[in-house]
Amino acid sequence: MQPASEEKSYAVGIDLGTTYSCVGVYKDGEVQIIANDQGNRTTPSYVAWTEQERLLGDAAKNQVASNPTNTVFDAKRLIGRRFDDPIVQADLKLWPFKVVSDGTKDDKPLIEIFYQGVAKKFHPEEISSMILTKMKQTAEAYLGHRVREAVITVPAYFNDAQRQATKDAGEIAGLRVLRIVNEPTAAAIAYGLDKSTSAQKETHILVFDMGGGTFDVSVLAIQESVFEVKATAGDPHLGGEDFDNRILSHCIADFRRKYQSDPTRNQRAVRRLRTQCERAKRLLSTQTSVTIEVDSLHEGNDFSIRLSRAKFEELCLDYFKKAMEPVEQCLKDSNLPQKAISDIVMVGGSTRIPKVQELIKAFFHGKELCKSINPDEAVAYGAAVQAAIVSGHGSEEVQNMLLLDVAPLSLGIETAGGMMQVLIERNSTVSTSKSQDFTTFEDYQDHVDISVYEGERAMVKDNNFLGKFTLKDIPKSLRGVPKIQVTFTIDTNGILQVSAEDAKSNKKSEIQIANEKGRLTQNDIQKMLQEAEKYKGEDEISKGDMLAKEELKVYFQRFDKGIQDLDASKLQEQDRERLEKKLADAYHWLEHDGLKAGKPEFEAKQKELQAVMNTETWTFAGHLHSALYRNDWEWRAALLVCREF
Amino acid sequence: MPAPDVNSEDYYKVLGVDRTASDSEIAKAYKKLALKYHPDKNPENKEKAEEDFKKITEAYEVLHDGDKRKNYDQFGKAGIQGGPGGGPGGGVSFAEADEIFKAFFG
Repeated sequence: MQPASEEKSYAVGIDLGTTYSCVGVYKDGEVQIIANDQGNRTTPSYVAWTEQERLLGDAAKNQVASNPTNTVFDAKRLIGRRFDDPIVQADLKLWPFKVVSDGTKDDKPLIEIFYQGVAKKFHPEEISSMILTKMKQTAEAYLGHRVREAVITVPAYFNDAQRQATKDAGEIAGLRVLRIVNEPTAAAIAYGLDKSTSAQKETHILVFDMGGGTFDVSVLAIQESVFEVKATAGDPHLGGEDFDNRILSHCIADFRRKYQSDPTRNQRAVRRLRTQCERAKRLLSTQTSVTIEVDSLHEGNDFSIRLSRAKFEELCLDYFKKAMEPVEQCLKDSNLPQKAISDIVMVGGSTRIPKVQELIKAFFHGKELCKSINPDEAVAYGAAVQAAIVSGHGSEEVQNMLLLDVAPLSLGIETAGGMMQVLIERNSTVSTSKSQDFTTFEDYQDHVDISVYEGERAMVKDNNFLGKFTLKDIPKSLRGVPKIQVTFTIDTNGILQVSAEDAKSNKKSEIQIANEKGRLTQNDIQKMLQEAEKYKGEDEISKGDMLAKEELKVYFQRFDKGIQDLDASKLQEQDRERLEKKLADAYHWLEHDGLKAGKPEFEAKQKELQAVMNTETWTFAGHLHSALYRNDWEWRAALLVCREF
Repeated sequence: MPAPDVNSEDYYKVLGVDRTASDSEIAKAYKKLALKYHPDKNPENKEKAEEDFKKITEAYEVLHDGDKRKNYDQFGKAGIQGGPGGGPGGGVSFAEADEIFKAFFG
């Protein structure tokens, strides 16, 4: 390959979703959303392990009913959370795969699967990295070049740990993560480019982003090419899957009533039913009723139920209503009246639900919703644009754009009496840093502990603990005398760093918060990178095995055809029988020993058969020659057939 | 209108706007400067750009918020002590906030 061509590498935008992921690239002045090897523009965020191999995306989701315990999804609902998080505890009751604690004080969740007879445990970051790898490969196949850099999106309401963990997942997938971008902000870019806002006047839009697992609302001000996020709010655990679960519970209750039998411990039954519930939910966006049917669901009983749109809305109404709270909060935080919003942009698959549209429309007094952008692709679209901006690959139009995003949660430290002292208010534009002076509590105190929290409550115990560090060797003096400056800095990814400095001694101490709590260490990441590389190796090996096996099968077919093509005048019955016997043996081997065999065995088998055939066919060819030798032409043709073997 | 001076101690001068500037003038001035100073637009000089960007953002956050701007006009930076973030969360007044700043931790 030419060096110039080798250097050409693209930066892609990846929407790493709870249920589906999507990849786009900015190329030749426009964004391309890239279809995967199945021709689909979104890829299920699924990873599965079968007896032989690891499957990603569509291949993994398609086999979920037959392999429920080794098919992993929803990693985004685990990422950056502790095992004892009540949300994790509630979720894992619904998952067919196993989740355990890592047993350390960080209490990280691990996903356990069985692969080739051995239990294997993975961090959620690793599962996400596998999905990112799949998206990366999809882009590489389309571009014909390596992809090394990416912008990855997260829900705007993701906290510090969740952002950092997502960044780690990118690194494990071998990607340099240029930026972590908030999903609604990315969607706003897609909307803004689409609108080609040349407007000098500031316009305000509200992005309502409800996907498979998370929900965000953002208000943005767009002026010329500057996209400024004014406020963001949301629920990192609300989306289409929650609605699926409601339908599922409804169906299970109905099944129990009809058959006095409980299908919930039958993982395969639950999975099959869940798939039909998801399908029903989608259909109910366009039709007013639907039948959910699963043959022989549990203990031989067929299941069938009619579900109306009204019933579905009733089942999920509390969720839908809950989704209006962040809308209200977001408007309040951005200091804007409802009428200041010129467009309401709907993003994410769940915004197709008529009731959701109806509620938000009612909230804005009947204002029409903007549906001009593709709700499944807008986030990846915007991420691809941001990748072009940050990597400097875009056109002039793109290079003139600027995104000003915000930190979604207030950040502060613990002060006297367990109070939360906020240093960075929520919805502050990033990057930003803020400093405040503090002092000592006791006479001759020589160190202070600094505990860092995120959240909106007044007492730190109600907020989320991020990390703790100590500033030591403060020169001894009376209480209240030392001046200790604490500085918070958030980078453009929304990731926090905190430092403390004693003014007198210039002693300084600092932490990158995300390094502290529950986060993977650089060592962990390196180890996982190697593991991922090994998997890539394994994937390639299993691909090699498959190819060798296919080649052997083709060889068998040609062999078979060769025998059949020679009539009795050219091939004596006893020779034919002997050759057919050899072939039958070989087929038998393929169907039995061949199941566990790898590339070397397949190749050896082919050689072995070739060797036998060579001696066999030479005798056979010689036989032909002496018996027939009608003309040289026929002799050559016979030889050709033999070589074909 | 004065030319913006990112190193000025005066927020109005940082953004290069008059003290009587309207909200939309302030927003416009900030965005123009953001395009100039944002680290994304200065890949070869990221650290300096980041510093400057933080300064213009600090000025904007105060001047773009009615209450904070009023306090700043009256008392200068002291009126918004604790940075443009203003008082701590939970609706504590400036007087209370000042108490808390002086409060102790250990």
